[in-house]
Amino acid sequence: MTPDSELSRGPGPAATPPAIAVDQGGRVRLRERETYKTLFVNPWTYTTGAVVLALLNVVLLLATGKAWGVTTSLTYWGAWAWRWLGGQPQHWRYFAEIKPAFNRPGFDFLADAGSLTNVGIVLGALLAALLANQFRVKKLKAKRQIVAAVAGGLLMGFGARLAFGCNIGAMFTAIPALSLHGWVFLVSIFAGAAVGSRLLLRYFV
Amino acid sequence: MPATETPLPSARRIARIAPARKERANQLPYALVLLAVAAAVAYELVVRRESPVSGFVWIVGIALGLAMQRSRFCFTAAMRDPLLTGSTSLTKAVIVGLAVATAGFAAAQFGAFSKAGQFADAMKLSSLDPVGLHTVVGGVLFGIGAVIAGGCATGTLMRAGEGFVQQWLALPFFVVGSAAGAASYPLWKAALFVDPKRVVYLPKALGGFGLALVLQFGLLLAAWLAADWWGKRKATIH
Repeated sequence: MTPDSELSRGPGPAATPPAIAVDQGGRVRLRERETYKTLFVNPWTYTTGAVVLALLNVVLLLATGKAWGVTTSLTYWGAWAWRWLGGQPQHWRYFAEIKPAFNRPGFDFLADAGSLTNVGIVLGALLAALLANQFRVKKLKAKRQIVAAVAGGLLMGFGARLAFGCNIGAMFTAIPALSLHGWVFLVSIFAGAAVGSRLLLRYFV
Repeated sequence: MPATETPLPSARRIARIAPARKERANQLPYALVLLAVAAAVAYELVVRRESPVSGFVWIVGIALGLAMQRSRFCFTAAMRDPLLTGSTSLTKAVIVGLAVATAGFAAAQFGAFSKAGQFADAMKLSSLDPVGLHTVVGGVLFGIGAVIAGGCATGTLMRAGEGFVQQWLALPFFVVGSAAGAASYPLWKAALFVDPKRVVYLPKALGGFGLALVLQFGLLLAAWLAADWWGKRKATIH
């Protein structure tokens, strides 16, 4: 395998492979090398994650003039699906008044930064899980989880439209962007989470 | 892996006996395939569509997913755990992230502002959206949904990538809910008194960046201290 041979050429400790990193043929196993574990396997602290997410958000703002958002693109996805089914979302007042970009000529999935980051997040998480050899399909444990996923998904989608954003657009982006609605959303989502916890304990656990 | 019949090196035998270390087939080849797919999309964006910015955004998106998976990040847990389990470590991390991003965003906005002394230039780099009763109702509904579904917007995307079937289900309904929200806009615009022009940019409302940033960092610090106190208080009770 290429990754293995690459490693054995590496400088430093790679020259004397520790016993645990030896495969059948005596080769260094890439996945058990310390450098590899540090980069791709060992978990980061929450704070490291938060700081990296914050910096990436700033990078997005500087590169594109628009910071990170998630749910507006999910709305586009729904509208595109509705159009595919024969609906006419281009006439929705929402797009005329709030998101005129939707009806801009040539606007599509690959032209929408939010769609790119959304798919990127799914792909990035999958990539991280595969690199760490941790990917596995986590099946549903109870039928209640179906109800929870459907109801929770609908509530989040609808709620995010009312608030003009989600935990990212109306919170992780809006607060640093110095918009008041971010702080109002933060307090509200906290209250909602408290109600949700009660429902969770009563019906879904 | 053909390692089962042949005698194992002692270290590997130990690794087998060690708990929670089930030997899984090497997933690295799949990761490499995925990287090739990501590179193909980047090629499409940068070369065929002649949009290097889009290509960059695509890579930032992948980095966001990677960072969230590596740090087991969860905004929902940051909101839920203080009350559910008393743990505030994620909450404090989110606050630190908000402070870091505030520094970056404010610097960019102040740079734009100081060119001509116009708040309008800074506001282009903000993400201003209307604020009002609808923000509260939407936030509460969103908070309930996120806790029930076991993940917020980003958490749903990230867990979908990690292989959680529950999030594979939640995501399409998230999309349906979003579209339903947009389609019914005229209804809730009237019912919740939405004024699309009612946006509040804190530096403009407070008469300058100084007061806005003092207030912002003051609130973040207060929130962090409260979270820290709450976490320790709960820890001593148990």
